[in-house]
Amino acid sequence: MPKQNGQSDTSLQTDLDALEDKLAAAKARRDAKLGKDDKDDNSLLGMAWRLSTELLASVLVGLLLGWGIDQLFGSQPFGLLIGLGFGIAAGFMSVFRTADAMDAKTGHIPKGDARPELEDED
Amino acid sequence: MASGPMEQFEIDRQVDLFEIAGQTVSWTNSAFWMVASVVAIIAFFILTMRGKLIPGRMQSLGELSYEFIADMVRDTVGPEAMRFMPFIFALFFFILFANLIGMNPYAFTTTSHLAVTATMAIFTILVVVVAGVWKNGFKWFKIFAPAGLPVPMYAIIVPIEIISFIARPVTLAVRLFANMVAGHVMLKLFAIFAAYLVAKGGVTALGAILPIAGTMAIVALEFLVAALQAFVFAILTCVYLNDVYHVDH
Repeated sequence: MPKQNGQSDTSLQTDLDALEDKLAAAKARRDAKLGKDDKDDNSLLGMAWRLSTELLASVLVGLLLGWGIDQLFGSQPFGLLIGLGFGIAAGFMSVFRTADAMDAKTGHIPKGDARPELEDED
Repeated sequence: MASGPMEQFEIDRQVDLFEIAGQTVSWTNSAFWMVASVVAIIAFFILTMRGKLIPGRMQSLGELSYEFIADMVRDTVGPEAMRFMPFIFALFFFILFANLIGMNPYAFTTTSHLAVTATMAIFTILVVVVAGVWKNGFKWFKIFAPAGLPVPMYAIIVPIEIISFIARPVTLAVRLFANMVAGHVMLKLFAIFAAYLVAKGGVTALGAILPIAGTMAIVALEFLVAALQAFVFAILTCVYLNDVYHVDH
């Protein structure tokens, strides 16, 4: 009996293997027909929304923090102005950081300063 | 019928329940549709979890959605963050179902209210802070001060980093809320315009074809936006969870 079981198991195994092979072949044919799977989840619309809200929100947060410090210490215009400056800086920093990450993901460009010096920056 | 473009966002107090600190807590249309989307999600996963070896159509939907979120967490944060997967799964499906249910006529879009999206965003960022401190101790606050800078630079960099961290929940909340409001207002405006043109009668009624075509295009776009915004919210949660596990970035 155990022998028979073993036999049926191996036949099942080969059946599954054969199916696996067939699937792989079908997948390869499909890939060849459709080209590489290059649909990106990060659609342009999503990217645009992400960058613009990041810039705007950082500026607003900086402005609000500065205003709050003004209210606390009565240092009227300076907190607001300095907060605005820091907010703009933070906005640009996070936009650059996000854009860098998007580049690294979609264009396979290395992240940060490690990019190749092939093209001119300006 | 609501005729103004903003009337669709009005909160309707259906039953006043009780008071906390002078504020009345009520059962509203918003609460009803939030519960409706949760019920729809539970129904969806009861339907899709039959547990057969060879999955049918519904079961593969459920399995695909699990795989989708699991892959997203694994790819953007790493396998160590899988304990947060249920949280991200819940976020994604709640936003997705709320957005999609909001696309139906007479339904209320709960995600078009800043109170709802801000609650989710603030909770998300609190999860990041609490998990970060839990895991790394107070060393976690080093994410605000990247290593290897000349000392005077820290006076500038630390406030900037703190501001951009506080901006995260703001962007999460505002993006979802603004997307839903803008889309629904646009939809309503086009539809109202078409209705007015038809009501005028005569030759002007023929001009209604243009806004009707526009409405149809916006409906398609809105379904895309509904799914995309749920995805964006979930993937950004993953990106922010990175800070829990990778303090030195």
